[in-house]
Amino acid sequence: MRLRSWFLFPAWIWLAALFAAPFAIVMAYSFLTRGVYGGIEAPWTAESYQRLADPLYFAIVVRSFAIALAATAICLVLAFPAALFIARAPRHKNLYLQLVMLPFWTSFLVRTYAWIFLLRDTGLINTALQAIGLIHHPLPLLYNDGAVLLGLVYAYLPFMVLPIFATLERLDPSLAEAAADLGARPLSTLFRVIIPLSKPGIVAGCVLVFIPCLGAYLTPDLLGGGRTVMIGNLVQNQFTTARDWPFGSAISIVLMLLVVAGLWAFLRRESEPLV
Amino acid sequence: MNRRTFFLGIAGLAGCARDTRPRLNVYNWSAYVGPETIPDFEREFGVRVRYATYESNEELLAKVFTGNSGWDVVFPTYNRLEPMRSYGLLAPLRHDWLPNLPNLDAGFRAPAWDRSLAWGVPYMWYGTGIVYNRSVHPAPTRWADMWNPALKGRMTMLDDPEDMLGACLKKLGCSFSSTDPQELRRAEQEAIRQKPLLSAYLNAEVRDQLVAGDVLMAQLWSTTAQQAIDAAPNLAFVFPAEGFPFYCDCAVVLRESHRARLAHEFLNYLLRPHVSARVAEATKTATCNGAAHALLPPAIRDNPVLYPPPDVFARGEWPRALPPAAQRLRDRIWTEIKAS
Repeated sequence: MRLRSWFLFPAWIWLAALFAAPFAIVMAYSFLTRGVYGGIEAPWTAESYQRLADPLYFAIVVRSFAIALAATAICLVLAFPAALFIARAPRHKNLYLQLVMLPFWTSFLVRTYAWIFLLRDTGLINTALQAIGLIHHPLPLLYNDGAVLLGLVYAYLPFMVLPIFATLERLDPSLAEAAADLGARPLSTLFRVIIPLSKPGIVAGCVLVFIPCLGAYLTPDLLGGGRTVMIGNLVQNQFTTARDWPFGSAISIVLMLLVVAGLWAFLRRESEPLV
Repeated sequence: MNRRTFFLGIAGLAGCARDTRPRLNVYNWSAYVGPETIPDFEREFGVRVRYATYESNEELLAKVFTGNSGWDVVFPTYNRLEPMRSYGLLAPLRHDWLPNLPNLDAGFRAPAWDRSLAWGVPYMWYGTGIVYNRSVHPAPTRWADMWNPALKGRMTMLDDPEDMLGACLKKLGCSFSSTDPQELRRAEQEAIRQKPLLSAYLNAEVRDQLVAGDVLMAQLWSTTAQQAIDAAPNLAFVFPAEGFPFYCDCAVVLRESHRARLAHEFLNYLLRPHVSARVAEATKTATCNGAAHALLPPAIRDNPVLYPPPDVFARGEWPRALPPAAQRLRDRIWTEIKAS
């Protein structure tokens, strides 16, 4: 083997130890029987997968997809102008990028808790609105789907901004000028030139936001107040209070397959015109 | 010198530099000892204690079920003792190594789950009830008062299937640990009816919102409720009239432990009245140690939230461990409630 191929060796080890092996364990667990007090036992069975064919779990999956899609869409709408602004900024480009990354300097858990202090009935937002007389009773901002959506958008927005910025930055500004020379108005240039050309960044951003949103469990738990379940909460519950590891593993596997299948279809469709 | 001896030498050097005192490994609930409990034990017995904490029984069980967790002493809730014993995880207690055992309160010397104290030393106990803001009129006395439409959006229940369904069952006059599918289905209907009235399902994090006044009534553990009451005197606590659950955490020695003697020394140390009283005072949790209870300052000793009077105590129920089928049904019902 040539020396060059050995350079990939650490990456292969990494992939084998931290992806392939855990995946194999989860796969094996999903076909075992639930231990009475947690853990797993013989014999092998597909019962966990049969249980998944239940309208109850289907409804939760549909719900999770809807929330993750909505969060991705909102992120896209917010992130594109921001990325365009940064890419076109004549100065301070690095500063703006640092500002996008700034939230990562603090723990995700702490930041999510901070939202509770902002949103709750006696929180900053409700107190301020009441102080200036805009509202008389606190708005129900916390512990609903809106709060979950807000938390997800807040958490994953940078993952949308950065890839879009990367493509926009590489975009040749003369293309937009050419469009203008040929009589396209700014909006027309945006929708017919810039957005189609930044598609790879948009696709990458959507994937980077959608997947973690779909499996999110901390945000729905903290900002949803346990009133709603997403797939992530369902999985977590199986490994904690329900003590049903095989079922939790089966849900994880099915979630993974759904994501892979969805991604494959999406990328196939989206990447064709570019090739 | 070949490579192996070289590495052995390095390892040996590293070993010399390390502490040679015997080491005891203690895995406990978070905030469940006093600040000086562990350092005092280390000093007196000339040992080191590796101390770490967990937040749920499941977290503990997931580790110790391997039978190779590296812990010597852990503190499971009483209804986990039987499964742990049946899986061979527990070392039987040597009463001759525990001379302080008679310090236990009479109520815990022969508890229903372990009549002869063969497996675990009762450590601390608490119940689940309702904590409420005194501005609520009339003050709640029963679980049924948590279905009050006037408090819509200002109440929370615990995010815990056992306690939450248990309260619904008690409201219906059933046992807290009911396994009857029909009773559980009726409890589910109660929970779904209650859900629109609730702000959220929260555990200990509801404490801040009770103190701030966002939440006016909450299902909560007596220990956590007492912490909230200490921070906000306009809060009060009641053990509901229909009945309520008690929980007790027990100190056990794992069978995998190679230091059973030292582990017993630690258990015996925790049973000392002064040590136990300091723990109870620092953690604001009810101690199972009668001799320690007598040493507590009157404000804590006579606190009816932590130590309910006998007539209230009599309404309490020690929930049983659930058989797998009931556990599975309850989990399904829980998911249905959450998804509703």
